[in-house]
Amino acid sequence: MALFAELRRRNVFKVALLYAVTSWLIIWFVGAIHATTTLPAWTDTFVLFVLAIGFPLALLFAWTYEITPSGLKKAIDVEQTQSIVYKTGQKLNAAVAVLLVLGVLAVFGQRLLPTFEFILPGIPEGDAPLSEKAPADIRSLMLDNGLKIIVWPDHDIPNVVMYNFVRAGGRNEYPGITGLSHFFEHMMFLGTKKRAPGEFDRIMAAAGGANNASTSSDVTVYKDWFPRSALETVFELEADRFENLATVPETVESERQVVYSERRSSIDNDNFWKLAEQVQATAYVAHPYQFTVLGWPSDIESWTQEDLISYYQTYYAPNNRTIVVTGDVTSREVFSLADEYFASISAQEPPPPIHTVEPEQQGERRLVVEAPAQTPLLQMAFHAGSATDPETLPMSLLLNILTGGDSSRLHRILIEDDGLAISVGSFQDEGFDPGLAYFYLTLPPGGDPAVVERRVLEELRRVAVDGVTEAELTKSRNIMLADFWRGLATIDGKAKALGQYEVFHDNYESLFDLPDAIEATTAEDLQQVAAKVFRTNNMTVGVLRAPVVEGAQ
Amino acid sequence: MNPLQSAWVGLCACLAAGPALAQGVTLPDVQRITLDNGVVIILYEKRDVPLIGVEAVVRGGAVTDPPGKSGMASLLAGMLIKGAGERDAATFAEAIDAVGGSLSANAGLESTTISGEFLARDADLMVELLVDMLQSPILGYTEMKKLRDRQVNFIRAAKDSDPRPLTPVYGNAFLFGEHPYGNPVDGDEASLATISQRDLRAYYRDYFGADRLIIAIAGDFDATMMVEKLSTAFAGWREAAAPLPEFEAPVPQEGRRVLLVDKPGATQSYFWIGNVGVAIGYPQRAELDIANTLFGGRFTSLLMEELRTKAGLTYGARSILRRPSKAGSVAINSYTKTETTLEAIDLALHLLARLHEHGFDEEVILSGKNYILGQFPPRLETAAQLAAKFADLEAYGLDASFVNDYGAAIATADIETVRSVIDNVYPDLANLVFVILGNAGLIRDDVAQYGPVTEIAITEPRFRP
Repeated sequence: MALFAELRRRNVFKVALLYAVTSWLIIWFVGAIHATTTLPAWTDTFVLFVLAIGFPLALLFAWTYEITPSGLKKAIDVEQTQSIVYKTGQKLNAAVAVLLVLGVLAVFGQRLLPTFEFILPGIPEGDAPLSEKAPADIRSLMLDNGLKIIVWPDHDIPNVVMYNFVRAGGRNEYPGITGLSHFFEHMMFLGTKKRAPGEFDRIMAAAGGANNASTSSDVTVYKDWFPRSALETVFELEADRFENLATVPETVESERQVVYSERRSSIDNDNFWKLAEQVQATAYVAHPYQFTVLGWPSDIESWTQEDLISYYQTYYAPNNRTIVVTGDVTSREVFSLADEYFASISAQEPPPPIHTVEPEQQGERRLVVEAPAQTPLLQMAFHAGSATDPETLPMSLLLNILTGGDSSRLHRILIEDDGLAISVGSFQDEGFDPGLAYFYLTLPPGGDPAVVERRVLEELRRVAVDGVTEAELTKSRNIMLADFWRGLATIDGKAKALGQYEVFHDNYESLFDLPDAIEATTAEDLQQVAAKVFRTNNMTVGVLRAPVVEGAQ
Repeated sequence: MNPLQSAWVGLCACLAAGPALAQGVTLPDVQRITLDNGVVIILYEKRDVPLIGVEAVVRGGAVTDPPGKSGMASLLAGMLIKGAGERDAATFAEAIDAVGGSLSANAGLESTTISGEFLARDADLMVELLVDMLQSPILGYTEMKKLRDRQVNFIRAAKDSDPRPLTPVYGNAFLFGEHPYGNPVDGDEASLATISQRDLRAYYRDYFGADRLIIAIAGDFDATMMVEKLSTAFAGWREAAAPLPEFEAPVPQEGRRVLLVDKPGATQSYFWIGNVGVAIGYPQRAELDIANTLFGGRFTSLLMEELRTKAGLTYGARSILRRPSKAGSVAINSYTKTETTLEAIDLALHLLARLHEHGFDEEVILSGKNYILGQFPPRLETAAQLAAKFADLEAYGLDASFVNDYGAAIATADIETVRSVIDNVYPDLANLVFVILGNAGLIRDDVAQYGPVTEIAITEPRFRP
């Protein structure tokens, strides 16, 4: 007990407490800056190691020495009556209390104010969302070269998603290079000036990441899904291929065959897309939306090295791209990596604008594709709006009412009541320029496309004349709202949705206006868009059926 | 807790938040209840988005299809939403769509699964529909006939479409033959045509019941109230009338045989090369996942690098493991233009031989481990995904350790253990079943070199000779 009392007298316990509180603050501080910068991974361990070694030393020091009015002396040399250990103890208590209060304030301050972070020089803060409806922790940053990066942190799982949107697709093509945007998507995986073909994927996979890419008529999108630990690796890989792509002739030749194989499976040996490609080509006479995204076979076989190089320079410049990162990150660490890896890539002249406007259709267009088929196909396409067109949302709501779910009008009539079709669906393009609203139907063997077409037109006319019921509108709103929430349930869905709105609506914030916009759309809006779009003069009809045998009955 | 204690708790939390390499996933704790009649209820509250997801599994599935009536479980699944309780088919569909919900039922090889997702505010409706579909489906004649004919036509439409999804169906049917695992899950045109309303009702009575039902619900809801609701609704449900069938594990194919499926006009040949593989309970699952990821489970796999990236023969090549309760199948699946059919198949066989000879080196195995662990968390991200996983584990009699111990098992795999799994699971070149779907007129003579050929037209109303 004497030892215990002496330990207490010499303030060893108080020093231990002070040490613990100080350590806690240091470790918390390191953790906090860790989240906003890219300190090496071993920093935490190192700090803990140093603090652990220091602990017994501090206790030994407290035991051995004593603070006196005339400086530091060995405790054993200080007369008990001269000792001021009590006063020192009080000071130690006060220090512990002050540090604890500071610590608690800092920790809770950071929790209560999500924007509170340690501001380190050189790391941009980024901009908060402009709309109050958008989650407050989203940040965006525009680099000097025109590349915009949007970050939405979500720490639910230890993973990250990065989407790279390039504003280039089938729409930027012309006869001779159709399919080049899609082919370029493949080239982006096939080597840079410092990496051999396939190395991009091997490095990413070894770091635990997976990736894919897709091309549409409007955009090419590169997607990476990876664990948090691979964040910097992915930035480095992406920056390298967006800055230093190599287009090696032998690789180009081999990849032509891969793309041709993709085309054979997806289009040539698939009746649905075989017909859809023809409908798309027929619905437009002027606008490049007429080109199939995979490209016409003769173009796949013929585009040149020069076509590829000029495409890369024009469309893959930072000012023509947008990056979205979601998941287990902070905006600061993403901006700091973006600054390190992407800021040095120079901007280019903006790509030439697409000024061709599809002239108004003057009468219905029809086409037939003959192919081996047990089940005939019918597709009907109408010219409709672009992504930002005010009629696009009412059209989406209307299409839900017509074909969304087993209770939709066309499903009920064509499939359940009349047995005219085995499936019916619809789709609306939402691109930079006005696109199409499609209906696609699969008929039972022996089904007559002409009869089905008449029945569909009858129903479309009914909507244009009589409109939809309030119950139908409510249902459609609910379907869209549920889809909206489902889309935001994953970090992948978040990245996709933010990117879509940033690219096609020019501000990601408008994504969060959607629930209100859905509520504000009226039954009249739906009826008006039906009357405007569903006209036979505005329609292209395609039929796929088995070849008619000459002379057969 | 005194200040010192909380300080140390704070310290530990800080360290835990530091970056760590992926270490696998730990399933959250769930509430699990078994009713007296055998219904298992699993509940997990997760409130990040206002959604609620349900996964209800009835053990059974296509292996319980009566002989000659493939597609029975699948047809019943489809009929569950064609009217139940007080609602006829149209009213039932309206009830789901009106609130923007989704609710569907599908048969699998060894179970039938009902999956649904609703806005949280519609949880009561979701439970009501679920109870009705399971306990009082109408199974009416008109609806049944319509759906049956439609399913037959869906198969015909699939045969007019991209053939990629078809080769595994032909493959498993041809490999397993009369064994229950040879049953095409959605039936074939011929078998579906023989199913009557009487058959369907008898099957529902025999194979649906409380003793084989598992209900998992995850999302934004109150678990206490949900337990009460589900217990009340299901406590009185009957048991299934017939026992689940017992069957032996399938016997691996000895030697080779070839099924040639003629699709006139096809410009590509689609091939599936496989044999009997392993069951879900295979003890070295982690090693097998590593081996399969590296052989044909990811973009940088051996099959993809050689067949696609280097040779430009195809857009896609995979190795597929089907792991049911007894030994399933293991197969290579790819396609190429008609002219390079032999070249691509020969290369695939060469790669299978290389897999056996060399296995994988340490660096590649490490890459496979990182990939598997890195891609694992997003599979259990949403409430609906979690509900599906809980139900699935329960259906196969597995517990949370199947997921929780997986990361550690992946981490401890090494060259030798992966090697032994390869020898153990992947078929020898001498013993293989081939399915080749393409323009038979152009490849018929060539493919005979792989073994005795049986040929059928794609329009034949079944998936095996």
